Amino acid sequence: MASPRLDSETLPVITKRITQDVINQFESCGILNRANIHNDPELAAKRLGTTYAIASGRMSIAFCTEAMRKFIGADDFHRSGNVSLKFLRPVKHGDTVSVHGQVNSRQPQNDGSTMVVVDVYCENQNGDKTAVGQASAVVR
Amino acid sequence: MAEQDLPLFVYDEVEIGEELGSYEYLLTQEMIDLYRKAVDDPDAVFPTIAVKHDATSLALAYDDQTGGINAGNEIDLHNPPIPGKKIRVTGRVHDKYVRREKPYLVIEATATDEDGRLIEKMRTYQIKKPEELGKKWHPQG
Repeated sequence: MASPRLDSETLPVITKRITQDVINQFESCGILNRANIHNDPELAAKRLGTTYAIASGRMSIAFCTEAMRKFIGADDFHRSGNVSLKFLRPVKHGDTVSVHGQVNSRQPQNDGSTMVVVDVYCENQNGDKTAVGQASAVVR
Repeated sequence: MAEQDLPLFVYDEVEIGEELGSYEYLLTQEMIDLYRKAVDDPDAVFPTIAVKHDATSLALAYDDQTGGINAGNEIDLHNPPIPGKKIRVTGRVHDKYVRREKPYLVIEATATDEDGRLIEKMRTYQIKKPEELGKKWHPQG
């Protein structure tokens, strides 16, 4: 069942507080259990020259999927959803990231469904964009 | 997951279309719960995003001493994964190119469950020169 929000032109804003703890939790969901630039500041320093570990860009993908699920509705989004992001700036411990989106188009499909395309971006607490892209789903 | 002696990753030697590591794992409710906590979303159903299927496929195929920075990610969702089912993943090199003197590697993974249901496709656009972005982000470092 499509979300009642679907008549809107904007996604619900999703805001997340980023800490090293939640970055580490996200990394621990993997199956390889190894150090990386997200959970090991020393490795980040060696590979990036930064003084901090950075959050995986996939966390922003996850945040956008939440915003789109709430906008489109889980049934449709989980079976036809797409999220594509280009990462512009690092996200790190202490940041607050918000997901925003604006409907770009609603394209009728031959089977009576509608492809909804949304321009999305993530920004930090300073108003700087950390990621931009598009998300879409077919609404039946 | 056991990792064996792997060939060293050499960007110039990787070929477009090359198959990367294939593997399977059991998706547990605990994994879903951990993911929901990490992303602060009690209704999230794709913990597979954090398993990083494509990057895991690369890590199982090569000893990558260079590392990389994700310039972008793209995910196609097809069916929610079901806890208690095995997830099967195949990975491949989708593309590689040089842009603004930075070498990009595009890796892709397709995940199905043990019943053959397509779960998701994930693509990652990696810059295999991570120190360049580090300088841009942290010039005093």
